[in-house]
Amino acid sequence: MKKIGLIAQREFLATVANRGFVIGLLIMPAIIAVAAFIGPRLMNASSPQVRGTVAVVDRTGRVAPELTEVLTPAAIEARRRENARRAMAQAAPGAGQAVTDQNLQRLGGTVPDLRLVERPDGSDIEREKDFLIPKEQAERGLALIVIRADAVARAAGQSEYGGYDLYVSPTLDDATESVIHDGVRQALVNARLAAGNLDREVVEATMRVSRPQSVIVTAAGEQQTQRGLTRALPFILGILMFIGVMIGGQTLMTSTIEEKSSRVVEVLLATVSPFELMAGKLLGQLAVGLLAMAIYVGMGLFVLYSFAMLGLIDPMLVLYLVVFFLITYLVFGALMTAIGASVSQMADAQSLMGPVMMLLVLPYILSPMIGRAPNSTFSVAMSFLPPFNTFVMMSRLASDSPPPAWQVWLTVGIGLAAAYAAVWFAGKVFKIGLLMHGKPPNFATLIRWARAA
Amino acid sequence: MESALRLRGVTKTFGTTRAVDHLDLDVPRGATYGFIGPSGAGKTTCIRMIMSILFPDSGELSVLGRSSALEAKDRIGYLPEERGVYRKMRVGDFLTYIAQLKGVPEQDASARASRLLGQLALGDVLRKRCEDMSKGMLQRVQFVAAIINEPELLILDEPFSGLDPVSVRLLKQIIADEHRRGATILFSTHVMAHAEELCQHIVMIHQGRKVLDEPMAGLRRQYDTRVIRFEPLDAAASLSPLRLLPGVEAIDTTDEGCTIRLSEGRDPADAMRLIAATIAPARVELARVRLEDVFIRLVTDGGRADEAEKALRANLQGLATEGMAV
Repeated sequence: MKKIGLIAQREFLATVANRGFVIGLLIMPAIIAVAAFIGPRLMNASSPQVRGTVAVVDRTGRVAPELTEVLTPAAIEARRRENARRAMAQAAPGAGQAVTDQNLQRLGGTVPDLRLVERPDGSDIEREKDFLIPKEQAERGLALIVIRADAVARAAGQSEYGGYDLYVSPTLDDATESVIHDGVRQALVNARLAAGNLDREVVEATMRVSRPQSVIVTAAGEQQTQRGLTRALPFILGILMFIGVMIGGQTLMTSTIEEKSSRVVEVLLATVSPFELMAGKLLGQLAVGLLAMAIYVGMGLFVLYSFAMLGLIDPMLVLYLVVFFLITYLVFGALMTAIGASVSQMADAQSLMGPVMMLLVLPYILSPMIGRAPNSTFSVAMSFLPPFNTFVMMSRLASDSPPPAWQVWLTVGIGLAAAYAAVWFAGKVFKIGLLMHGKPPNFATLIRWARAA
Repeated sequence: MESALRLRGVTKTFGTTRAVDHLDLDVPRGATYGFIGPSGAGKTTCIRMIMSILFPDSGELSVLGRSSALEAKDRIGYLPEERGVYRKMRVGDFLTYIAQLKGVPEQDASARASRLLGQLALGDVLRKRCEDMSKGMLQRVQFVAAIINEPELLILDEPFSGLDPVSVRLLKQIIADEHRRGATILFSTHVMAHAEELCQHIVMIHQGRKVLDEPMAGLRRQYDTRVIRFEPLDAAASLSPLRLLPGVEAIDTTDEGCTIRLSEGRDPADAMRLIAATIAPARVELARVRLEDVFIRLVTDGGRADEAEKALRANLQGLATEGMAV
């Protein structure tokens, strides 16, 4: 056991200390970090506060005062916060509370500073429009709002209220334009409510029906469904597992080939049994894979945290990720070690790697099908078929209608059996292959070795 | 006392080739055994089976009293024929790693590594990476790895192949030291001269079969060929008077002088006195038995074609695989 630990330790250190490995591992999180951290800052910095004049021609005579009120920076900001909160709550239940003013500030940038100027009711619109054409004047003319006469009180015989027209300067940005639209909308609603002697609170409460999260009722119990952003999770978790397995598995293969081609393997075999050697290598690279995953998961959680969406992640998912990663790693790591042990140089490994890579990539190609129908017969069957089972089950667990618990346990059970079989097979091939040099074997040869050993 | 090594009817077949065929072997503790035979005779296969790296198809073996080397690996030192190191590792780290795998505590391991490297004239390479070392240096590093656990049984597969004469001398010294320390030593070689110099006991193997298993001393007596090597003081002197001496069967001229074969039953002491009296000698001596001759005689049974014998002889002198340098 101590020897296995020594081998694992050497394997781990030799891999992690390699400069190429460190760079390869950190380049992804580095990009994400840049996006998460510097991104919002950069976007803020590039859009300075918009200042300017908005002219209003109010044909009703009742909207302009309201408009002045709802277009103050404080009101704009309050509205924006409310909108964001509503959007978040819909996209990702549970995350709404995590939205803080600071986060909104970071995402949306500073609110525009608008000066409202009322024009007389009878002004000529064509003339007023001139003020939008950019000139060398102290203040920019941003927009001209024309409130129609029937905007607050319906014209006789009409079921709909009238609206407004908006003329904007060519330099006006989309964000500010939508701030103006929102403002006018609210001003109109306020004016209409006042005109009809309606209480805003009452009307809003009347219109509001909150939408609960649906609950799936199964024999095993009840489960809350998840929607929205969580759809991306199966894919992300799949990638994480794939990366972890590839990093560990690939290095296992190359380091085994290196030990074999440098003949150091016979020195090692004089001190440890082939199985101890293989177990040590598997453990060492497992630690490497876990390290890579920990870095990626940690970065992922940090990004979610910085976007105030930490509430999206079910802690159980992280646990499942670790369990399924262990199983998948053992299956593929063992197979790749066996390949490494059976060939004498990297080039020979390619032909054997092909099928293994296919097995690893296939669940990926299938993942949209499984994401769309996580409880279809196909998805259920695939989640019991190694070596795809872990990927498929991971996708189903992260989907919005998770599978019943017995299926998860069955997948884990089958996965462990598959891992045992893969390690057994690899152990046999490893033992025979290590001292074989010359013509690279094919899979039939490997199976013959496994049966002979 | 129990044997360090015991093989009974050990057989190993690869495909259609029988690499080792019913081999019996007993190596007592503390002995130095030479395992000799031409390349391809089955020496490496046999050693790998002793090390439990390969497993025999049939037969039994015990190593240091255990039924398998797997149970005694920490007490065995092994230098494989194919040398290998981790190219990126530092020499000191590599040796410490191997030592720890053999159960040597970490602090002892590095102390032993530097002491042994010093003995092999490699005192300054601890911090060097293996890939920066010459081939000869790496061979010595490997040797250190084999003895770093102070093994009870030291198995060396072709320890001198590819080494320069200085390294060979250093290695022989350390092998002798290990023997004095009490280690049982088994080494294989196809170069008979090395075996003659180091071994107390010779096991010859040919095409997987054991053809000889004798102490070196007995071998000398048994295969005393009654040949006298003669070198005249005056290089230009005619050697023909020697043919007329009583008991002289044949004379073969060599570069320095000649070899004189005596007839059966002739007393060599008497003959040497007569020879010296006939032509003033620079050197006259009884030719010692050469393992090479013994081996050739054993495997050819006198009926083998000359060509085959020549090839075998070249191999045993280390010419076939290592060129003319040796």
